[in-house]
Amino acid sequence: MSKKFIHFNGWKLLLAVPLLMFAFTAKASSHREAPLISNDPLADNTDVYAFRSPDDTSTVTLIANYIPFQLPEGGPNWYSFGQNIRYEIHIKNKTTTTGDDITYRFLFTQVIEDSTTFFNIRLGKQNLRTRYTLQKSTDGGSTFVTVVTNGIVPPPNIGPRSIENATVGLGTTYDALMTNAIATATTGEKVFCGPVDDPFFVDLAGAFDVGNFRPEGNSTNPTKDGLARFNVHTIAIKVPISMLQKDSKTTAQATSILDSDFIIGVWASASRQQIKTLNTDGSTAYSGNWVQVSRLGMPLTNEAVIAVGAKDKWNTVRSNSAGEGQFFPYFKNPELALYMDDSQFGGAVPSMNALRIQKHALNAFDFRNGKKGLFGLKGNAALDGTALSEANFGSILLPDSVSPRAVDLLPIFFTGVPNLRPYQLATGKPANSPLAAGKPFINNFLPTFGDMLRLNMAVPVTPRNSPDFSSLGIVRAAVLGLTDARFTASGTALQFIPNMDGFPNGRRLEDDVTTIELQAVSGIALAAIGLWYDDYDPNATTPNPVTPNLVNVISFTAGPTKNDTTFKAAFPYVQSPWRGNDYTAKPRF
Amino acid sequence: MKKIVKLFTASLVCLVLNQTIAKASSHREAPLISNDPIADNTDLYAFRSPQDTNKVVLIANYIPFELPQGGPNWYTFGENIRYEIHVDNNTATTGDDIIYRFTFTKVIQDSTTFFNIRLGKQNLKTTYTLERSINGGSSYTAIVTNGIVPPPNIGPRSIENATVGLGAASYDALMTSSIATATTGERVYAGPADDPFFVDLGGAFDVGGFRTTGRDGVAKFNCHSLAIEVPIATLQKTGKTAAQATSILDSDFIIGVYASASRPAVTTFDSTGGKPTTSGNWIQVSRLGMPLTNEVVIPIGSKDKWNATLPANDLQFASFFKNPELGLYMDDSQFGGAVPGLADLRIQSRSLGSFDFRNGKKGLFGLKGTAALDGTALSEANFGSILLPDSVSPRAVDLLPIFYTGVPNLRPYQLATGKPDGNPLAAGKPFINNFLPTLGDYLRLNMAVPVTPRNSPDFSSLGIVRAAVLGLTDARFTASGTALQFIPNMDGFPNGRRLEDDVTTIELQAVSGVALAAIGLWYDDYTVGSPSGPVTAQLGKVLGFNAGVTQNDTTFKAGFPFVQAPWRSFTGAGYVGPKAGDLLPVSFLEFTAGITGDKVALNWKVTNEVNNDHYDIESSTGAVFTKIGSVKATAGGGVKNYSFVDVSPATGTTTFYRIKQVDADGRFSYSPLRSVKFEVKTSITVTPNPASNFVRVYAADNNVTVNLFDGSGKRLASKALTNGSVEFNISNYSKGTYYVVAEKNGVRLESKKIVKQ
Repeated sequence: MSKKFIHFNGWKLLLAVPLLMFAFTAKASSHREAPLISNDPLADNTDVYAFRSPDDTSTVTLIANYIPFQLPEGGPNWYSFGQNIRYEIHIKNKTTTTGDDITYRFLFTQVIEDSTTFFNIRLGKQNLRTRYTLQKSTDGGSTFVTVVTNGIVPPPNIGPRSIENATVGLGTTYDALMTNAIATATTGEKVFCGPVDDPFFVDLAGAFDVGNFRPEGNSTNPTKDGLARFNVHTIAIKVPISMLQKDSKTTAQATSILDSDFIIGVWASASRQQIKTLNTDGSTAYSGNWVQVSRLGMPLTNEAVIAVGAKDKWNTVRSNSAGEGQFFPYFKNPELALYMDDSQFGGAVPSMNALRIQKHALNAFDFRNGKKGLFGLKGNAALDGTALSEANFGSILLPDSVSPRAVDLLPIFFTGVPNLRPYQLATGKPANSPLAAGKPFINNFLPTFGDMLRLNMAVPVTPRNSPDFSSLGIVRAAVLGLTDARFTASGTALQFIPNMDGFPNGRRLEDDVTTIELQAVSGIALAAIGLWYDDYDPNATTPNPVTPNLVNVISFTAGPTKNDTTFKAAFPYVQSPWRGNDYTAKPRF
Repeated sequence: MKKIVKLFTASLVCLVLNQTIAKASSHREAPLISNDPIADNTDLYAFRSPQDTNKVVLIANYIPFELPQGGPNWYTFGENIRYEIHVDNNTATTGDDIIYRFTFTKVIQDSTTFFNIRLGKQNLKTTYTLERSINGGSSYTAIVTNGIVPPPNIGPRSIENATVGLGAASYDALMTSSIATATTGERVYAGPADDPFFVDLGGAFDVGGFRTTGRDGVAKFNCHSLAIEVPIATLQKTGKTAAQATSILDSDFIIGVYASASRPAVTTFDSTGGKPTTSGNWIQVSRLGMPLTNEVVIPIGSKDKWNATLPANDLQFASFFKNPELGLYMDDSQFGGAVPGLADLRIQSRSLGSFDFRNGKKGLFGLKGTAALDGTALSEANFGSILLPDSVSPRAVDLLPIFYTGVPNLRPYQLATGKPDGNPLAAGKPFINNFLPTLGDYLRLNMAVPVTPRNSPDFSSLGIVRAAVLGLTDARFTASGTALQFIPNMDGFPNGRRLEDDVTTIELQAVSGVALAAIGLWYDDYTVGSPSGPVTAQLGKVLGFNAGVTQNDTTFKAGFPFVQAPWRSFTGAGYVGPKAGDLLPVSFLEFTAGITGDKVALNWKVTNEVNNDHYDIESSTGAVFTKIGSVKATAGGGVKNYSFVDVSPATGTTTFYRIKQVDADGRFSYSPLRSVKFEVKTSITVTPNPASNFVRVYAADNNVTVNLFDGSGKRLASKALTNGSVEFNISNYSKGTYYVVAEKNGVRLESKKIVKQ
């Protein structure tokens, strides 16, 4: 985030200017996503979420999950947070500072209460019992203040004998253990660390068999949630918005529901000391500098965008640091796009037939890998006043004639999307004029050039029980804004459209990020702003943008579209971990 | 090892019985190794090959709980780890007699993709070198180089598909072709396999919540196997074949096996994501001989240490066998009442009216030094000092030797068959000899014992427990008294370990004293001389007990490597998505959707109907398609026409239609999409018609514009509606056909033909 980045490649300042739109990339969040971290489960960061708390809208909830694929019955040594690991959640709320604006650091310790048994819990005693200290820095990591000490991590949810039974077990209920484990920091945040149901969902078997996707509801081959009935360890913090907002404002003070001053960027990481020494007595010692071994901001970046040759490196680079630049090529011409392009491998991936990238949008623009995209407009007066002009971000968004997705995917991941032409819905734009002013639908522009989950905290919350609530997040907001009379009637006026608080404007637990990202790679964001699919005829007497191609993309799902269980109505929102003894089985592949 | 032999004084001496201990083999069994999956040794097997009885198969498994769908970085063997299988065949030598050491290398063949396999290339492609030492590890010779580890069994596109995948004939073909033959004659397989272990983890570890119908916690998980098929002559200490054995319990044919994983002491992470560097001495981080030792015998405070310890230094853990924790849960004076899942298992507290084997009790210690022990393994001249060490180590007589020395064919360790009632110390019927007194945890196999065919009706997953039951009760074996006979399953655990053996059940039965019972130290409910005999209710309960899961969740291969192919991640047919702009599928010759009044008529023409059952009609206004009707397929072949009317189409938006053709077997395909856009259902009325001077057009919506065209399409006039109607003067037009066309917002709503008279 260093200042030098603020001048990076002509991006002058970020103050008023904004960028992009809502696109991105592809496939199984970040469970064992890179070769090295796949063999270090304790430090493996699997998902990050950031959303306004639906039951307490003056707060934002941040969730970072670690340790993938925990078998509910995985005893006798159930997974827990590792000692000698720094688990951190990083927050940016300014572009003018270097480094994190807020850092939460969790440190864990384990105790063996009864060394004479092989059971995890026995006779009221718990082995590998875990406690934590939470430290907070508000000066970029120079100093930390302890805000929770001796925080409780609940035990694994083993079964009724271990948890409820008062003779051989702990004599309580699991819900009580979870509730009692919610701490209040000295600075006011609510905190929970412990095992929970893994809220992520994806058909791993389908996705990674060279793209053998099985959309939900298809009757060729039912989709399978590869993470069903697995637990994960969660770090959840509920923070007052005024504590995250750079000037300590509440949302009541926001100038609009897309107020740029309310944008935060969030990423999480795990770090280990550089040197690990195994001793001959079976113990292990750690020493040396701390090195980052896992990180995650936007979901699936390292799973399905970064190629295997660079995945380990990705994990060691800090978000917003100079090192991020080396990964830009993966977003300008993403691998997944090759599978949505009939001139590349499109024909070889039939499960993605429905997803085809624009190759002659408006009879002019080709967004397939290696093509020009909008580069033909470079320097054109038509760009004046848009984000694409040279005076604004043309050098980044239209860098050359072979980086078509620098205009959509790259900014989604590295800067956020501004409420600026052309990054507004086609609603209200004259036909065939994507550069015109349209209906605003997103502003999470925080141009730090780092992979983060960016959330505009001023955007209202879509109630989870609203008929408009959708796991397609901003994609659904765009569809509503383009087709629903409640929103089309007012043309370019800024309105709250349901799901504007969904991914990629932050990320809610419900959001189907796999589907959204695949739709984005296939150009749905371009379509939303008026760069319609190839079967749109701009010369028709009454051009109709809702074409079969667009419907195919919108109707596509990557597999399961929701988690295999519910969420809690209140903090920490993630659901209790599956009980090892008697959880209901479900096929995972 | 030599000093250990001295502990045992005699030379041909032999020991114990068929017992053992408890519960989930060794998957994530100790705190440290549970966080280092690729070095985690989960199970070890050793058995005479049922396919080629001149050979013994050794299998060491690593990496627990591998998800078949665990991509994109599926587990594979780790680099910088020494995976070793150690064989001891000679108590006279120091250290291992044979060591097989595997080391692995991984290669990224295509660094530009996130897929594991794509376009014939495989990432994290793993190969190995196998080295062998026959001098206790002083020197090694490479006997397999560039051995192939098959890829993960991802699915049909990755494995069989020749365009996007590897184009292999099948996964089995990959497995078979990766079997290497070592320069020294062994056959070798290193690669993913179904985890052959089975256990009710969810029950077992909920403080012993065993269930009659448990759930296999390792079902449908894979592991990585190291399998070696070795000629018996290679393993036998003097190069003998099984044919040269003096008996089926020849002591010269006993081997002890354990497996391990070691890492360099120091690992330094690269701060830029490069491979970590390693240095320092090699440190053993995981090891396994007998199943479940470190899972349920060694308590948590010592588990990490156990993994780091060589078997030669195992005596420090002996107390966990002499008074096993599990013994507490089978003893009503301890926690027995609190563990109902083990209620059927109760340890003898007054066997033959006097011997108490519960934790802390005397066991057979009361016989210490008595003449009755002369000539038995328990005499001071033999192993009394080990087997009867003191008055508070009851299981030193059965569990300890099972794990640390093997069981000799020596009194009292023979079946009660042929022994006088109430005299367990007498000579009985031999049933085991895997005595290799190295005082360390090994899986011990007497290679001279014949193989029980897997398809024999006598074959049992209860191994030696079943052999004991047969030897005690089956007339085929009781008839000959104390004579040595092959009893089926004498080749089963704990005489080696077959893939099928239910070691969890066997070990729990052993902790509850079934081995003591087998040699005549019957359960409490037997009274010497009782006419109903020693097969009492309590013995029946123990033999009837099982730990909840009694077999693997799939089969085994009939030939090497015997472990089953790994579970395939993706199975079944691949979904084929709809493709806009496609030509009509062969079966759909035509498909139209047209407005008819306020309805939409769908018509389609098909041919090549084979096995067709019906058509579902689906519509969508932008997102999810929903079924709005169904039409049954008509009988007969050739070109056929079908139709359907959507009587209530959505208005004000575009509706998409598609036809889902469903076969009798449930398979289906989609027609191309057709779309219809209805504006508000404005229906116009024209009157009079035919007309001479004026026509008036009525509509319900004032936002409608009406155009008047002549027969050639030339527009003559255009007017907006006022108060629901508009009038055109046609008096100056020539006779003929004209059209009025209503539009709203530039979209054509409806047209009507009028005739000028």
